[in-house]
Amino acid sequence: MQPFDYYKPKTFEEAFDYLTLPGKTVFPLAGATDFIPSYRDGVWQADAVCDIKALPGVRDLRETPEGLWVGACVLMSELARSPLVRAHWEVLAQGAEVVGSEQVRNRATIGGNMCTASPCADTPPPLYVLDAVVVLKSKAGERRVPVTEFFTFVRKTVVQKGELVTGVIIPKPPAGTVGEYHKLSRRQGCDLSLVSVAVLAAPRNGGYDWRIALGAVAPTPIRVPDAEAILSKGWDAASIDEAAKAAEKTAKPITDVRSSDVYRYEMVRNLTRRAVRSVAEKLKK
Amino acid sequence: MAGRVETTEPVGKSVPRIDAYEKVTGAVQYVDDIPFGPNLLYGKFVRSPYAHALIKSINTSKALALPGVKAVVTGKEVPNRIGLYLKDRFVFPLDRVRWIGEPVAGVIAINEEIAEEAAKLVEVEYEELPAVFDPREAIKPDAPLIHPDLGKYEVVPFIFPEPGTNISEHFKLRKGDVDSAWSQCAAIVEDDFFVPQIQHVPIEPHCAVARWDKDGTVTLWAASQSPFAQRDLIAQSLDIPHGNLRVIAPYVGGGFGGKAGVSIEANVVAMSRAVPGYPVKVRMTREEEFLGTNVRQSCAAHYKIGCDKDGNLLAYECQYYFGGGAYNEYGVNITRAAGYSCTGPYDVPNVKGDSYCVYTNTQVGSAMRGFGMPEIHWGLEQMMDRLAEKIGMDKAEFRRRNCVRPGDKILTGMTMPQVDLVKCIDLVTKAINWDKKDKPSAPHKKRGKGIAIMWKAPAMPPNPGSQAIVRFNEDASVNVFVGGQEIGQGTFTVMAQMAAETLGVPYEWVRITANPVDTKYSPYEWQTVASRLTWSMGNAVKAAAEDARQKILQVVAEYWKEDPKDLDIKNGVVVSYKSEREQSLKKMVVYGLPNENYEGWQGGPIVGSGKFMPTYVTGLDPETGQGTRAVVHYTVGAQAVDIEVDTETGQIEVLKIASAYDVGKAINPDLVMTQIEGGAVHGLSAAYEGFYFDERGKLINNSLVDYKIATVMDIPKEIHGDIVETPLEDGPWGARGVGEHVMVQTAPAIANAISDAVGVRINTLPLSAEKVYLAMMKK
Amino acid sequence: MLHEITLTVNGEQRTVAVKSHHTLLKVLREQLGITSPKIGCENGECGACTVLMNGKAVNSCLVLAVEADGAVIETVENLSKEGELHPLQQAFVEHNAIQCGFCTPGMIMSAKGLLDRNPHPTVDEVKEALAGNLCRCTGYIRIVDAVMDVAKKGDA
Ligand SMILES: Cc1cc2nc3c(=O)[nH]c(=O)nc-3n(C[C@H](O)[C@H](O)[C@H](O)COP(=O)(O)OP(=O)(O)OC[C@H]3O[C@@H](n4cnc5c(N)ncnc54)[C@H](O)[C@@H]3O)c2cc1C
Ligand code: FES
Ligand code: FES
Repeated sequence: MQPFDYYKPKTFEEAFDYLTLPGKTVFPLAGATDFIPSYRDGVWQADAVCDIKALPGVRDLRETPEGLWVGACVLMSELARSPLVRAHWEVLAQGAEVVGSEQVRNRATIGGNMCTASPCADTPPPLYVLDAVVVLKSKAGERRVPVTEFFTFVRKTVVQKGELVTGVIIPKPPAGTVGEYHKLSRRQGCDLSLVSVAVLAAPRNGGYDWRIALGAVAPTPIRVPDAEAILSKGWDAASIDEAAKAAEKTAKPITDVRSSDVYRYEMVRNLTRRAVRSVAEKLKK
Repeated sequence: MAGRVETTEPVGKSVPRIDAYEKVTGAVQYVDDIPFGPNLLYGKFVRSPYAHALIKSINTSKALALPGVKAVVTGKEVPNRIGLYLKDRFVFPLDRVRWIGEPVAGVIAINEEIAEEAAKLVEVEYEELPAVFDPREAIKPDAPLIHPDLGKYEVVPFIFPEPGTNISEHFKLRKGDVDSAWSQCAAIVEDDFFVPQIQHVPIEPHCAVARWDKDGTVTLWAASQSPFAQRDLIAQSLDIPHGNLRVIAPYVGGGFGGKAGVSIEANVVAMSRAVPGYPVKVRMTREEEFLGTNVRQSCAAHYKIGCDKDGNLLAYECQYYFGGGAYNEYGVNITRAAGYSCTGPYDVPNVKGDSYCVYTNTQVGSAMRGFGMPEIHWGLEQMMDRLAEKIGMDKAEFRRRNCVRPGDKILTGMTMPQVDLVKCIDLVTKAINWDKKDKPSAPHKKRGKGIAIMWKAPAMPPNPGSQAIVRFNEDASVNVFVGGQEIGQGTFTVMAQMAAETLGVPYEWVRITANPVDTKYSPYEWQTVASRLTWSMGNAVKAAAEDARQKILQVVAEYWKEDPKDLDIKNGVVVSYKSEREQSLKKMVVYGLPNENYEGWQGGPIVGSGKFMPTYVTGLDPETGQGTRAVVHYTVGAQAVDIEVDTETGQIEVLKIASAYDVGKAINPDLVMTQIEGGAVHGLSAAYEGFYFDERGKLINNSLVDYKIATVMDIPKEIHGDIVETPLEDGPWGARGVGEHVMVQTAPAIANAISDAVGVRINTLPLSAEKVYLAMMKK
Repeated sequence: MLHEITLTVNGEQRTVAVKSHHTLLKVLREQLGITSPKIGCENGECGACTVLMNGKAVNSCLVLAVEADGAVIETVENLSKEGELHPLQQAFVEHNAIQCGFCTPGMIMSAKGLLDRNPHPTVDEVKEALAGNLCRCTGYIRIVDAVMDVAKKGDA
């Protein structure tokens, strides 16, 4: 691995100085589980890294009046094992627990998962159905972006040079909300998603407000409004089938070394059907 | 030794592994763990970006100008050829590159980062040539010629290249008369199959360190299954007297054939010549391991097989085209093995087989667990299923009826040695409840069962040898010196058992002195390949131990004035059945025994030596493949699998794999089981593995991110193993090898089960959920 | 860039000067002489480099050495005390859960990371915890059995 420098600021002011060092490419560094492989490969080139794990608040995971605060450097293993997350934001815990391996989850952060913006990342689809809001900070101050506007393309986000994600705020879903995250990969252990589906049904006016997000089948995660509308009217077997077909229509998968687009289309439909069905099963209980 | 467990007569007992303690404590040193101090230099290869090109010029000046760079070595500095069966490659290519990733130069620097940087600064000018990747394309007359000099290469007498083509070996098998047999067949099946290149993926990547001393002695430390073969080939190639080249090979972190023969080692030795006195280390990154080291060959196969109405096989015709990659120095013999075993474990009266090794512009195909057998069994074991289906016969019964039996005159004309394949079939079908249709676990799942059988002979030259030395210490503990390698298979444990059993001492008294194997001190061993050590090295160890035992008995007999025939060694004590006297081995095995009244002494430090080399393998007729004895022996086995297919995703869950192999004699039954279990998972994993290339021939899945091997979450719920013991005529205690066989037929067994479950046939590996799903959709 | 860091490795405090871009794996092996964590991929995929960092299993190839300043690191070298094998090591030996041994140190450390936080895991939990450790030799079943054995005895 070629040399680079390392800084570890304790304040945001310092961090922003490092991140904007003139003439230098400085990467924020969280868990390094994306950074090291991508840097080794030459996909990313950096003169230095700025370790953000000592910054205030970035490791906090707590309930606030606005909802759940997940600091950018909260680990996948923390999300997966947190009783608080499990109790109210289960679908996020499900996404976090299928990221990589135990060793990876013990280093990988939610901020890193989002900022790498890989289409097959496993926490964004759950964040989509949970209506999460991303909090960003730079010298210019703080701004908030709905997670559905955060990703702009494959490996691209709204994060500007000199800006950091400090965390996400996730509104607390009403009691009785049920969610499921389903991931299909080539191998059972430690593999990336070929297709993933997050489904959430939240009680509203005596019925349910359904939300569906897909991962790995478009440049960014996508919601499927057509399917959501169908299910919000009713979730009998026929509607579930229809919603699954709507998901297939919305997806825009590609062919790559992991699978063909043809298979991914099929799997979007079948996996959506399966995920919706299991949410429906839970609702019936 | 006091207070410890002592295992007497250990052969046949599941004693603990001799290497377990050092491995669980982290004490073991693999090559990369050996400290070399601050003088250590690091090497990095410059690799070809073209699949096929002429090298016009190489400019190393920019690289050499980088501070910290010590030398750059190219083909010009080492214009020497190397190869095991066919000397078809240069250490570094002189004028032509033949695959994307081929090393064209080696850079040496004071650390890895500088070496890596300098490698990018070496400027190579190429003239791109048309390339060919598929063996079926490469045999066409207008295909680009990859080795125009094929006719000039040195080759062993049993390999037949066809100069002017890309064919580096053509093995012909002709038995009976296939053409007239077709008309007697009640059923005929005919089809094509394909197996892509896969890799061994040992968790330890290749690593080698070499030091060329100023006095001309050369030392190579290598992660190696073949220290002696490497010494021989590198010494010949680089003009080093054999005695001056010392290969040191510590424990290997997984081999599977990938560390057999020579891959990066000759390059590293050649590089070290440029920096005399300095050790140079080259370690493959995982990406380089995929891109630049050996792989299993691809294989395109065509079969036509027929049987009569009662299910008796009558005719078998096949063509195997192995995609041998850029250099076929080792691969030619895989093709030959596939040729002389081309029918699989079946007795067929009429056979026409052609097995071709074909140059392609891809990674070098070489030895891998199974050595040609997984490649040919993939198709043939599915074809047997289809034939059985066609005539309406149970698939296990079809195999029982047609499989080889001892005494059969098999395809090469050789008489089949002792094995019991029918028993293997009986055991696996019983273990899996073959006749019972089980219910799937969910409505969207389908359940199926499949069976496949196999055979494999150790594929090697006719005369590979083994040597062993047994030496006693004062306390009667024993050091057994061998030159075979512990690559995880447990060979050191088994050798210790054999030595202890022969000597009449407890297992715990034996130490194996072979870590590292050191060609300067270790007895000779051809290579740790071909599942040959238990049998061949075992015979040598047994002979050496017997030699030592006889020497001890001789001394004691003279001391007691008895006949050595009346004496025995039991539990470390010499006993006389006649006089009932006893003499402990302690001390006497080094100091000997005094005469009466100390009037002189007898005996002295006991050392025994032994060797083994098969002497009975004969040549085969080049036109027919017929001969008295093609191989030393065959190991046979059966596997049956029980699977569930998820019809919504195409995913397959293997619920159970049952295996049975005829090992002749299980020297250590639990170690045989570990081979059976590990092999079943390796076989399962390999069924899903494959190299993917872009249209230029660049490997796209050159990392563990996209080349997936089975994890603990992917294994079958249950792995069942049965051991059959039909003694091998010349095996130690009747033992024959089993290390490779355990994965040979797993993929076709699964494919047969898929067909049983959902009625689709997959002819092209790898299996994938996608492939199964799309095939179901088409149906 | 050089950084002086202090970390506790297998119970001993060590101070070393490390380069920014050197991983914990490299520094353990080349500067601290601890070679049980192996180099299998340097990509987080194989788990051969697994160590416990502040009690948690991590891939030491994906941790910069400088990030480990102040951390407590444990490797398999630390497990056997006074010639007595740790129960996990003992179980690996008894079950023949070792072949080439290259994955073994990482495998044992992942298992220890699990048992330290969850002394009585289910088989599925054991598999989850070991899914990041590749083994090409054993087929895994004996490894799982060995860990379950220790978990049942509860003396990890
Ligand atoms: C073996 C392995 C398996 C994996 N499997 C999966 C998987 O199954 N699913 C999955 O989703 N991912 C997987 N990953 C990818 C990776 O682990 C995750 O994306 C992880 O969450 C990245 O987080 P990190 O903290 O390690 O990021 P880092 O590597 O530290 O950073 C990633 C990128 O984000 C930037 N960044 C990080 N934090 C911030 C921030 N707060 N503000 C601005 N920029 C920031 C960095 O500069 C860098 O560009 C796997 C990785 C490995 C090595
Ligand atoms: S070397 Fe660290 S995971 Fe492979
Ligand atoms: S024992 Fe060889 S990799 Fe696990």
